[in-house]
Amino acid sequence: MATDFWASSHYKRWIVDRSTLKQARADDLVYVPASEYLDFFTIYFANLITKLCKKLQLRQRVVATATVFFHRFYLKNSYCETDPYLVLSACCYVAAKAEESPVHIKNIVTDSRTIFSQPPYNVKHFPSDNSKLAEMEFYLVDDLECDLVVFHPYRTLLALCKKESSSSASGGNADMVGEEAEAGELGTGIGAEDGPRYWGTGEGKLELSEAALQTAWFIINDTYRSAICLLYPPHLIAVTAIYLTLVLHIPTQNSIAHLIPYSPAFNPDPAIPAESSQPTPQLRRSSRSSDSSSKQAQQDPIDFLANLNVSLSVISTIAQEIISMYSLWNRYSEEPTLEEARNPHIAGGIGSGTGTGSGSGSPSSAGAGGRMEDLFGDGTGSGSPASHTSQLGPKSGSGNTPGSLGGGETGTDDASSNSSNQNPWSFGQGRLVTAAFLSDMLNSMREARMSDMAHPSSGRPIVVNRMLERTG
Amino acid sequence: MHADTSLDPMRIYRAKRDASHVYVKSKYNILGFISSGTYGRVYKAEDASGNLHAIKKFKPDKEGDVVTYTGISQSAIREIALNREISHENVVSLKEVILEDKSIYMVFEYAEHDFLQLIHHHSQTLRCPISIPVLKSLIYQLLNGLLYLHSAHILHRDLKPANILVTSKGQVKIGDLGLARLSAQPLQPLFAGDKVVVTIWYRAPELLLGAKHYNNSIDCWAVACVLAELASRRPIFKGEEAKLDSKKNVPFQRDQLLKIFEVLGSPVEKDWPTMTYLPEYPSLKRLDPYPNRLFDWCQSCLRSQSGYDLLKQLFMYDPDRRLSAKEALEHAWFKEEPLPTANAFASVSPSQIPPHRRITQDDAPSMSMTIPLQPGQSGNAANAPGPPFTQVLSGSSQQAQAQAKSGSHHTGTSGSLGDGPTVYAQGHGHGTTKMRKKRRL
Repeated sequence: MATDFWASSHYKRWIVDRSTLKQARADDLVYVPASEYLDFFTIYFANLITKLCKKLQLRQRVVATATVFFHRFYLKNSYCETDPYLVLSACCYVAAKAEESPVHIKNIVTDSRTIFSQPPYNVKHFPSDNSKLAEMEFYLVDDLECDLVVFHPYRTLLALCKKESSSSASGGNADMVGEEAEAGELGTGIGAEDGPRYWGTGEGKLELSEAALQTAWFIINDTYRSAICLLYPPHLIAVTAIYLTLVLHIPTQNSIAHLIPYSPAFNPDPAIPAESSQPTPQLRRSSRSSDSSSKQAQQDPIDFLANLNVSLSVISTIAQEIISMYSLWNRYSEEPTLEEARNPHIAGGIGSGTGTGSGSGSPSSAGAGGRMEDLFGDGTGSGSPASHTSQLGPKSGSGNTPGSLGGGETGTDDASSNSSNQNPWSFGQGRLVTAAFLSDMLNSMREARMSDMAHPSSGRPIVVNRMLERTG
Repeated sequence: MHADTSLDPMRIYRAKRDASHVYVKSKYNILGFISSGTYGRVYKAEDASGNLHAIKKFKPDKEGDVVTYTGISQSAIREIALNREISHENVVSLKEVILEDKSIYMVFEYAEHDFLQLIHHHSQTLRCPISIPVLKSLIYQLLNGLLYLHSAHILHRDLKPANILVTSKGQVKIGDLGLARLSAQPLQPLFAGDKVVVTIWYRAPELLLGAKHYNNSIDCWAVACVLAELASRRPIFKGEEAKLDSKKNVPFQRDQLLKIFEVLGSPVEKDWPTMTYLPEYPSLKRLDPYPNRLFDWCQSCLRSQSGYDLLKQLFMYDPDRRLSAKEALEHAWFKEEPLPTANAFASVSPSQIPPHRRITQDDAPSMSMTIPLQPGQSGNAANAPGPPFTQVLSGSSQQAQAQAKSGSHHTGTSGSLGDGPTVYAQGHGHGTTKMRKKRRL
């Protein structure tokens, strides 16, 4: 059924494990110095999808669906054998239709050409002919196995949480407000027997301030910059976004601090304290001091999460993956570094480029939808990497590398950081990877692949992609 | 340096994909042409193990004589997307989708009959009513399939006899999800993109009065129309559709409403309090009042008190009071003798079962057929059964072609994004009218 996740194509065919993910990138891995670059590609292309969809005035759910399509496509294909720009354009085109917001193919082609041809992407080969995109659409829908209904965490978020009734916060996210309006638009007779969808005690939804709800919404937006949407069901991603909001959104943190007991019983799962209570010292301190200021009887968010009947250890794993994604994203920039600006021909020069990353732009353009980190704290310093570092950095504890945060689950990341250490292309902690650099790297990957295919005796390992077998 | 990749960055991918592609013709044996419609053509086919299928081939888009891609139509995307998520014994199942050579082929399970063909068989050949056991079983299974769709939050939006299939084992299969939509948390409101939904004769009064927000109950109204049509062997509300004007404004459907009022009486505010808010309410008020004579209508057709009651409750003007599919399934009519049967034809002698779907040679062959047709089969168009998936003309492919050439609403619509479905619904009612006239000669 189209609204029952457990009976959906999404659950039955498109939740994959890590080894499948790894397998899917095996061909590409041959052509990059370190697997970490492939994770940067994920951010790079997800940002581009967001950018294209915003230009086409498509809603966030279309962006999300398009990005999921893109991820799914590259479960079966390699960057080095395809044109990801054409693929992502087709993803937006199909997603717009699948989400009942069709746009004309001409508009997609025009806007794609406009965006991709500009720096930092400098992609001049995007076809001006509609039929090329339409042909790609055929291949794409085929590779997606015609599974076009995608579930997203937004629905769960709004089912579990509601805005504080007394909230005076303003400046709401248009997408979110719109989404709620739509839900109310259902009318009688539809889903009347379904009732509100939340689990647990049945006592009701978790009340969050508008800003907190937005933060959770933005965290969900950001998860599409990693493979999280392929690894975990959307409702767990939503719960994780709520959890991270409670922990990281400072006003919310302060408002609930008095409810959080400072005790090991806070979390029976050893995985969580290692990552959450330790990086949030404020949380502990204020838990005692602000008791007196507790206003009215408030819901206990800990109880709320505990009663959701989801595996909290899975939630903590997802939380770690989200934080890994953020620490990677902090090192990504759409703007060229100073060195690149001086000499655009040395893409590899990045590795020795601006070490600390200060002064270079964060993905501001990609953050049009609002990056979660910008909302942390007082909300100032939006977009500047310095503010990201000061706010998120300390919280991530001692181990700021993706590998150490991810624990066992992110073993591939561990491997990647190891290999990058031995590689001449390696970049150190905090080194920036720019969009222009990735754009160049993609070109060389494809060229190398082409020449390998032309001369197959090059001795490169030939990889079998498991996802391909199931269509056969 | 980049010259090589700039030429065709997808070269390797394309080569791999094309090499592994399984062609429609290598997998299926095309037995004949079934029908054509706005969207394309439907063929009967069998696979290597002899299983029968209906293959719906969407029309490729044409600019002049050159076949081009302009993208998969919204309707095809819907039908593909929804079909991949659902599975129910009373809904036609999609076996696979093959995308090749700029065309979309949807391979469905095959059904030998449809409601329109059944009605036709009884009115023209047998000249007797459809028996109550058959009628009740058909409606019960139809409601069962509809309940499944509705509980999956899918609105069908185009239920009518031609879209409701029946297998040779008497199992009802709801077909054609080309206008269907997910109703749960839509990103766009239901009226966006499809100004007109449901073929005019089966269109619920709230839609005729311009309601922008509607729900499952529009499908239940259509079921009531289908029930009445099975019982009387003619459409109960056979109105003339007022056409969209040049600006695509939807006109007031006066004639269709009058046809409804002639049987059900004029709606009164007491029974339908919210009708005063509907856009066309002022036009409605100007119509003459009619008394309700549904009971009399049923005397000649349904001849059952509870059957009348079911029809009455499905024909409630107020969508909120209209029976849902679930409530209808629990209605007393289905609990009294004769009980509905899993094989709708269980009580029918073999000679009374409608003949198999006729297939013909494709006049404008877009798929070559491997088995030559028997002599005389292609000339028999007028008696051919109704279309299973598509709407315009059944049997006669000549007619279909002629109409496709003459009627502007049949050409070049399948690829357009916004107004495809609008034209679909419109062209559809029109085509059906023509077909009926032809048949009753």
